[in-house]
Amino acid sequence: MAVDITLLFRASVKTVKTRNKALGVAVGGGVDGSRDELFRRSPRPKGDFSSRAREVISHIGKLRDFLLEHRKDYINAYSHTMSDYGRMTDSERDQIDQDAQIFMRTCSEAIQQLRTEAHKEIHSQQVKEHRTAVLDFIEDYLKRVCKLYSEQRAIRVKRVVDKKRLSKLEPEPNTKTRESTSSEKVSPSPSKDSEENPATEEHPEKILAEAQPELGTWGDGKGEDELSPEEIQMFEQENQRLIGEMNSLFDEVRQIEGRVVEISRLQEIFTEKVLQQEAEIDSIHQLVVGATENIKEGNEDIREAIKNNAGFRVWILFFLVMCSFSLLFLDWYDS
Amino acid sequence: MATATASSASIRERQTVALKRMLNFNVPHVKNSTGEPVWKVLIYDRFGQDIISPLLSVKELRDMGITLHLLLHSDRDPIPDVPAVYFVMPTEENIDRMCQDLRNQLYESYYLNFISAISRSKLEDIANAALAASAVTQVAKVFDQYLNFITLEDDMFVLCNQNKELVSYRAINRPDITDTEMETVMDTIVDSLFCFFVTLGAVPIIRCSRGTAAEMVAVKLDKKLRENLRDARNSLFTGDTLGAGQFSFQRPLLVLVDRNIDLATPLHHTWTYQALVHDVLDFHLNRVNLEETSGVENSPAGARPKRKNKKSYDLTPVDKFWQKHKGSPFPEVAESVQQELESYRAQEDEVKRLKSIMGLEGEDEGAISMLSDNTAKLTSAVSSLPELLEKKRLIDLHTNVATAVLEHIKARKLDVYFEYEEKIMSKTTLDKSLLDIISDPDAGTPEDKMRLFLIYYISTQQAPSEADLEQYKKALTDAGCNLNPLQYIKQWKAFTKMASAPASYGSTTTKSMGLLSRVMNTGSQFVMEGVKNLVLKQQNLPVTRILDNLMEMKSNPETDDYRYFDPKMLRGNDSSVPRNKNPFQEAIVFVVGGGNYIEYQNLVDYIKGKQGKHILYGCSELFNATQFIKQVKYTFVVCFC
Repeated sequence: MAVDITLLFRASVKTVKTRNKALGVAVGGGVDGSRDELFRRSPRPKGDFSSRAREVISHIGKLRDFLLEHRKDYINAYSHTMSDYGRMTDSERDQIDQDAQIFMRTCSEAIQQLRTEAHKEIHSQQVKEHRTAVLDFIEDYLKRVCKLYSEQRAIRVKRVVDKKRLSKLEPEPNTKTRESTSSEKVSPSPSKDSEENPATEEHPEKILAEAQPELGTWGDGKGEDELSPEEIQMFEQENQRLIGEMNSLFDEVRQIEGRVVEISRLQEIFTEKVLQQEAEIDSIHQLVVGATENIKEGNEDIREAIKNNAGFRVWILFFLVMCSFSLLFLDWYDS
Repeated sequence: MATATASSASIRERQTVALKRMLNFNVPHVKNSTGEPVWKVLIYDRFGQDIISPLLSVKELRDMGITLHLLLHSDRDPIPDVPAVYFVMPTEENIDRMCQDLRNQLYESYYLNFISAISRSKLEDIANAALAASAVTQVAKVFDQYLNFITLEDDMFVLCNQNKELVSYRAINRPDITDTEMETVMDTIVDSLFCFFVTLGAVPIIRCSRGTAAEMVAVKLDKKLRENLRDARNSLFTGDTLGAGQFSFQRPLLVLVDRNIDLATPLHHTWTYQALVHDVLDFHLNRVNLEETSGVENSPAGARPKRKNKKSYDLTPVDKFWQKHKGSPFPEVAESVQQELESYRAQEDEVKRLKSIMGLEGEDEGAISMLSDNTAKLTSAVSSLPELLEKKRLIDLHTNVATAVLEHIKARKLDVYFEYEEKIMSKTTLDKSLLDIISDPDAGTPEDKMRLFLIYYISTQQAPSEADLEQYKKALTDAGCNLNPLQYIKQWKAFTKMASAPASYGSTTTKSMGLLSRVMNTGSQFVMEGVKNLVLKQQNLPVTRILDNLMEMKSNPETDDYRYFDPKMLRGNDSSVPRNKNPFQEAIVFVVGGGNYIEYQNLVDYIKGKQGKHILYGCSELFNATQFIKQVKYTFVVCFC
């Protein structure tokens, strides 16, 4: 249980001030003090680093607010109740997706830029560490906000897939209705842009688009000519066969869709892990390079040492020889 | 927090919550997944470091938004636009350094938190410096945190680590101590205990034995609590952290004991995991430092000596294996590590099998349906990978630690010592004579032998005869021991004999499962041949017995004349008659002069059997037998008859 003694502190500041005034000590206090403080603050390196970091944070905050605001509308009202409120068309949803992605891209670019610039002018180790940590925090924040977005997106994709699955429950009598629903879906498909998840949707959309002209021609063909009963029967059999084929194709395609979604999720996880490992491998690489440098230098040192040793020996030998010569000389000189 | 069971929240949680709140600028911490990041810098001194390090890991600090954590007295560079949180003790040097920081304008705003209460004059010093530096508005908040103790476990705390010598056993029991020094020591202890109770949020009922250092502590603590309660405006024990239910029912019992009632337990050889690690390896503040020798190399003469790798491991509450097994006897621990290793390997094989299945998938086209559950399995395998890795790390950690402990046990034959000491302490018949063990050259270090002999000396009812004593002394000096501790123990024994009868240690039996267990154990990775599989039987150490008597209001000649203090009562009276006749639900045992893990484990075992009761264990310092003997060696009495 902590006790807040800030008030006590301010009180002691006042007492010290009055005491200093009484003693006549000229210490910056009162109005002068605040002015001094202002003065002192401006030449201090306010650091455009921190102001820019705060800008990025406010951007991300705006993105988050935007996403949260429209979240309810986005997820809600997939039912075909024609309520006016809160019903978003798919195009609006696409718009939101696009905007969010552009935003996220600019934010991550800004963070990268800050990262490269942060280490340029600063020499102090602590400040570098501090800035790296700050940038990590901001990235983490961005990731959390992006998670909001991708959750929304995942729910939407899932709903589309489920809807398609449901609409194929009764294949034979519903061919006409399927035509109508698939025609509905073909129209929004070209307007979707291809990012990770919509890639899965494009594939089945294309198949639907291909299937539709077939059905269309088949439907047209049926209405135009007059057919003999045998031909009718033949055509009917062909119809059955085609329907069966289409069904199985659709089943397979549906399954593939689901699997591909899962696989893409897994891919995300894998890329994350691989990127982590890349960082580690980089550091190991650095260490190894440093180690080879050290070994090279070590070798050089050893070589020099050997040389010195040899040189030293030569000098010793020389000195001894000179001493003995001088002794001989002295001896000869003396006698 | 204002429920009746709040007092049973563990002390560790409370301290962690208090620390997190402090780090969050003293606003209660709320987890918000899409909150904006706020960054700050944490500055602490060595006391603060000791308090924070067992509770919060670096990752948790990061989660709270701390980008840098630095020591107060290191060189720090100015980092603009960052609020700084200080967590220091209000000593002269710390205050000077903080004033210097204010003058150098290192950070943007300052949140000052003092570990224990700061005096008015020092506060004015800071105010002075802040005025001189025109930085008064920068000092955003000043707090007294009252966190001057270190929590090691959920229910165990220690007073301090940095100035251990000030409150060590030796400092308190030194014969040449002066009154003023004693006063300072007592004040330090009482300050920490007071902080502890403020954090706990309860006012205890204090009981202590007469005539010991514990009594002095009790008197002072009672006085301090009483003063604080009197001052109703500023009392620390009212407020929203206390519910109404705290007052009459759940008041805890504080039992203050002195180390001198039981000197055998610190010397005892032990057999439970945590106590062994503390005894045999370098273990403090929940961190073990191991030295691993690198493999044998053919080192040519004159080359550098073999390099030893130092490794340190943190044993934290997150480590589930540690939490489960820290009180188990060592062979159980070895088996459990084996089991964990095998289950981990099984899981690893499972994952590898999935990998091979996925590899085959590409060739078989008709297997799309199989693909579906395999992707699901793969997803679950991938998501469970971090858990698996964590498990592997823990298993490695415990394998290393247990192997190191096992090496020591084998080298010093600690199991033999343990068994023998248990027998001595429970006064069953001894099969081997003491002299044999002492003169046995390869059973343990000289210190082990000294410990054994001291325990024997302490627990015999009558002193051994002079001739025997001489024999023992000779054997001990042959084995290489220093005989100084023996002097001290002699004096202690004489002193306590005057005061009261020496404590008896209760009955215990140890079973040594011989051949069969050895056969079973050779299959396991830890080759435990020769290390007997000793089974611990429940026995109550003296401290536990005293606690039992006081908590259950049992009448016992030993504890009947303990003093009774209740800071909430209006008149401080000296009666030994407890007013409260009901057994207590919560108790705090505090040992003045030093404690150890053996007592802690004993208390934990004791309380396991009782439903709904909680015990907290605290001591002024934590030492193992080696450190204790070192302290006792130099505690001489110049002249004592």
